[in-house]
This record gives sequence, C-alpha cells and structure tokens, in this order.
Amino acid sequence: MKLKIIAYTILIFLTVLIQSTVGDSIKIYGVRPNITIALIVIVALIRNGTEGAIVGFCCGLMQDAVSGMVIGFYALMGLYLGLVIGLINKRLYRENVLIAVFLTFASTIVYEYLVYFFTTFLRAPLDFVYPMKNIILIEAAYNSAISIFIFIIVIKMHVRFKEYDKNSRRY
Amino acid sequence: MFRLFKNKKFVLLFVTIVLLVVIGLSSIQNSKINHVGDIFSTVLSPFQRFIGFSDKKINDFFAHFEDINKLRKENEDLKNTVDELVYENEKLIDFKIENEELRKALNIKDQYSNMDMIGANIIAKDMGNWFDIFTIDRGTKDGISNDYPIVTNRGLVGRVMQTDLFSAKVISIIDEDSSISARLSKTSDIVVVKGDRKLKDEGFCIMNYIPAEADISVGDKVETSGVGGIYPKGIIIGKVKEVRQRTNQLDRYAIIEPLVDFRRLEQVFVLKESNINNNETSDEDK
Repeated sequence: MKLKIIAYTILIFLTVLIQSTVGDSIKIYGVRPNITIALIVIVALIRNGTEGAIVGFCCGLMQDAVSGMVIGFYALMGLYLGLVIGLINKRLYRENVLIAVFLTFASTIVYEYLVYFFTTFLRAPLDFVYPMKNIILIEAAYNSAISIFIFIIVIKMHVRFKEYDKNSRRY
Repeated sequence: MFRLFKNKKFVLLFVTIVLLVVIGLSSIQNSKINHVGDIFSTVLSPFQRFIGFSDKKINDFFAHFEDINKLRKENEDLKNTVDELVYENEKLIDFKIENEELRKALNIKDQYSNMDMIGANIIAKDMGNWFDIFTIDRGTKDGISNDYPIVTNRGLVGRVMQTDLFSAKVISIIDEDSSISARLSKTSDIVVVKGDRKLKDEGFCIMNYIPAEADISVGDKVETSGVGGIYPKGIIIGKVKEVRQRTNQLDRYAIIEPLVDFRRLEQVFVLKESNINNNETSDEDK
C-alpha cells in the first residue's frame, strides 16, 4: 500500500510538473498535449477503476491548483474519467498497447469536448466544428502517441505491485 | 454511519457533491477556499522555477554557437539605432519637461507615474489548450495582490488573477475571460478589448463596441482608458490589424494585434501602487 502511494505520488507530481513547464515548448500546431489524460486512462485500464479515479482526482486537483479558474472542476472530470475507463476495462484485453492508444484517443475527444462545453456554454455561442478541427483532434493524436510511453511505465509499475502483493501474501 | 463510507457508490456521491460545492465556493472572487490550491502551487513552484531556469540555460547554451554571426550583424545595426535614438531622446527630454509643466498647469494627475515596477519570471504556463493563464514567481510575499496589472516594456500583458505565497496566476489579455476598457489613441473613443478563443492561438484580441462615428483605420494604436480601476490609463495594448463589419454598417469590430508577443514571453513587470492617492484617482474615473 505504501509503495503504491509513493509511486503514484511521484508519477502524478512529475506529470503535472512536465505538463505545466515543458508543455508550452512541445506544442505541435499550437496545441499542447495533455499528459494527465493519458496517465488517468492508462492507470484505470491496467490497474482498476478505483485507482484510476483516485489518480484522476489527484491529477485534476493539481491541475486546478496550477492553472484552473476554480478549484474542483478538473478534479471532478479526472475522477469520472478514471471511473468510466475502470468500468469497461474488464471486458478488454488490457495488456495490449493498441487498446490503450485507442482509449486515450477516444477519451481525449470526450474529455476536451466536455471541458469546452462546461467552460463556454453560459457565456458564448457554442461552435462544435472549430474546436474539433483545430484543437481536439490534434491533441487526441498527440496524447495517443504519448500514451505509449506512459503505458510502458505503468506496465512496469503494475508488475512490481503484483510481485509486492504476492510476497506480502505469502508472508 | 461508517458502514455507509464502505459503500463505493456512496463515497462517489459524497465526493461529487463536495466537489460541486467547492467549485461553487471557489468561483466567488477572493474566497478562502482558494487557499486549498495554494498548498499545491506553493509546493510545485520551486520545481517549476528550477525547470524554467534550466530550460532557459540549455536553450542559451545551444543558441550560443548559432548566434555569433547573427550577433555581429545585429550589433552593427544596433549601434546605428542607438545613435539615432540618442538624438531622438534629447529631443524627447525637452518635450517631457514641457509636458510636465503643462500638466502641472492643467493639474492632471498621472496614474502611471506613481506606480512601482516589480520584475517577475514566468515559471509555468496553462496546462490545457482552452485558456491562457500563466504563473509568475512573485506572490503575496512581494506585496502582490489580485488585479495588479502586468506589463512588459512593450505593452500590456494582463492582470493578476490569483495570488499565492510565492507565485501568482496571471490572466493574459488574449484569454477569453479578459476584457479591458480601452481607448483609441487617435480619437479618444472608448472601446472594449476582449480575448477571443479563435484569435488566441495567433495571439490577437478582438475590439468590440466601436462607436458608430469613430474614425478607425488599420494601424491605429489602442491603449488602456483607465476606466474600471484595474489598469491605469495610457498603457499601450496594441494596434488595429483589421476592421470588420458584422451584419450592418454600424456594427463593427476590429482585430487587435498586441505589441507583446505572447508566444515568446519570459519576463514581465507587475505594476504596484506605491501610494494610496492612486486609488482615489481611479475611483473618480469610474
């Protein structure tokens, strides 16, 4: 349990740190990747929904603290993203990279549309084509590419956690 | 009661409701709940500062080799410009003295002159793609509080949105949430400069509520009007890039190109009031 908490804390901390500092200089076509989405999706996919939800909540809270307008919005989004991916992960062959890539792609589109909707619908006319074409599609592709690296890291962590669990059980 | 907390669905519902309440509370300006965020951003800010610093150093190191020839040429050009500017400067000093005398005679208070400038580095940028908020390495410790204007030597950048102990969040003028009362330098017409989501990527803003009779053309300078009390009067925002018409002749809007290059922004200045008199002048303007 302790190992898990330490590992996740470091992972979340590094993700948010990279996202908020280097994120601006790795833009492609003026779009930043969102590493937190990839992290939440993959943790929820490989581990389970509860861990995904907790990681999503913590990532979101950090994001709120660093760059949000209000506290709690991204935390809520991350929490539910982790939960939803956790619900469908039992039906999938989860140790396949392609599934992780596809799920990251799909959930980036849904997640960013929701963020766009909630931050815009009360103050400006909604436009569904522009954000799709100029931001969301590029970001989804970028996130999917990044998700491969995160997948490798999280799979390694997953193996460690399993070994650790086995050892402590035998004891 | 404790059995309830073992039920996952109940925990989920509970957390959701708590978060919704927190969102509601934190959307109130200056509410205490925002200090929750301070904890995280205070922990993160030294690391962000370190990464920002080393990022710059690495870039500088590689740029060092490429730049020698460029620098030589640039140096020559700059020397010529300096000569021109020295001449111009002497002329301007005369104008300044004259201006001050006239101001004294007319009893106009200058909002800009009794403000202190505090230098600050940008240590983090927004994480998502929807907003344009960034973090600077000055906070309440340096005497910064909400709504202080942020400028560079070229023009207006934005205002402080939220302050922590060691850092502050700044909302830039190209963000959709920002709107500034501005003035056309040529004709003194009051307009509103707002951020726009589509123009944000190119670093432009939009100018609304242009009076029907205003004579506006491409290249006109736009500056802050001093109305509203946040931004002092006379800070340059940018120039008009394009004037467009909506449905009829009277309904016009313009695209403003800020003088500040938001993509290459590294250092900014916070304008801080150095005496209390200033507040009174801005109140009068309202």
